[in-house]
Amino acid sequence: MANSMAPSSKQISAAQLSAIKLCCHRGDNQLFNDISFEVSAGQCLHVTGPNGCGKTSLLRILCGLNQAEGGQVLWQGKAISGNHAFFSSCAYVAHKEGLKNELTAIENLRYYQQLDARRDEVVLDRLLSKMGLLSCADLLAQNLSFGQRRRLSFARLLIANFSLWILDEPFTGIDNSGRELIETLCVEHLEAGGSIIMTHHQSLNDSPLNRYRNELALSKA
Amino acid sequence: MKNTLALYFQREWQLMFRNTSSMIQPLVFFIIIALLFPFSLPAEGALLQKIGGGVIWVSAVLATMLSLESMFHSDYQDGTLEQMLIHPRSLPLAMLGKALAHWTSTGLVLTLFSPILCITFNIPNEQIWVLFSGLLLGTPSLSLIGAIGAALTVTLRRGGVLIAIVILPLYIPILIFGAGMLSQSSQGLEVASQLYALAAILMLSLTLTPFAIAGALRVTIN
Repeated sequence: MANSMAPSSKQISAAQLSAIKLCCHRGDNQLFNDISFEVSAGQCLHVTGPNGCGKTSLLRILCGLNQAEGGQVLWQGKAISGNHAFFSSCAYVAHKEGLKNELTAIENLRYYQQLDARRDEVVLDRLLSKMGLLSCADLLAQNLSFGQRRRLSFARLLIANFSLWILDEPFTGIDNSGRELIETLCVEHLEAGGSIIMTHHQSLNDSPLNRYRNELALSKA
Repeated sequence: MKNTLALYFQREWQLMFRNTSSMIQPLVFFIIIALLFPFSLPAEGALLQKIGGGVIWVSAVLATMLSLESMFHSDYQDGTLEQMLIHPRSLPLAMLGKALAHWTSTGLVLTLFSPILCITFNIPNEQIWVLFSGLLLGTPSLSLIGAIGAALTVTLRRGGVLIAIVILPLYIPILIFGAGMLSQSSQGLEVASQLYALAAILMLSLTLTPFAIAGALRVTIN
């Protein structure tokens, strides 16, 4: 069962994403049932819970990859299914980075830029430099370390103006400087009026994200 | 911003050039299967000439099948498929781009190579063009229809056999019209009706299968 956060009336008016009475099953197991929450602009929703409680399943439902068995997800008041505005505003970084091993770091990023924005090589160089990857721009993705691949998948978030970031365990496999960098990016995003939904197994109490944080605790059924 | 179809088509080509074995394997497989027949049958020119067209068509179908399993597999493994599914760009158009790129690297290459195999089977020159035009119209449908099977089995570890079971029955009409053209033309009859039938199947595949592939992927990944 999951704890649900009752939305206040103030949040409703500013809510970007609302989840209403979501249910999810895996086979015969019920992962969570009847959870509702809202995420407003400038807010970071931290989903916590033990392994296997459905954190990743929840994120996949929120970004539209999976269908919930019950309930619905709304983006600015409209259901996300087939909602072009939602998919244009949402970016999902999962365990699988979405990088092609046969392409170099900059080619991978260029592909996402061509999908989401106008082609601009200066922007790509700036992003790689910001993520500390400029020296490996021309290395094939298969030759990058796990942490470097994670950094590259984060660079994708900055290519276009996504207002909702959905991050699944964003700090896994990343060194301290990388973590600081990602936290800074997240804070900048939240300050600019974006929203973040993330799972992370450690507490965010000591993180700069703590100020913006709202917690949703899932527990094993 | 760049057109979705062109973007996915170009990306597939870029990936294929980095991984050339995926292009060469179907062609080599096609040639080997077709060449096994002249070696294993009695050395009668008339017999080979009679069965040559059918053998080349069956080899083309099997070579296409061989390459289908890998069509979405690496995209699924590295997470790019999930990113495609939640992207606001049209998924059917993206899938059409992918399937057409698959055809240019398998079906088109096999078609271009087929006249050389025809010589091995002692097929007369005027019939080589009949076979060539049939393959040119038929092989894109093989890639487009096959992509539905590849999409349905993308999450399975050994989906190849299942693709064959799902897709081979759907290939039968193409095979009948394609191979039928040769026997018809060897009797001096017109082959226009078969060509029209292959063109009609291609038009249906071009317009309908992208939606089926996209739907199959959404269901499978969910």
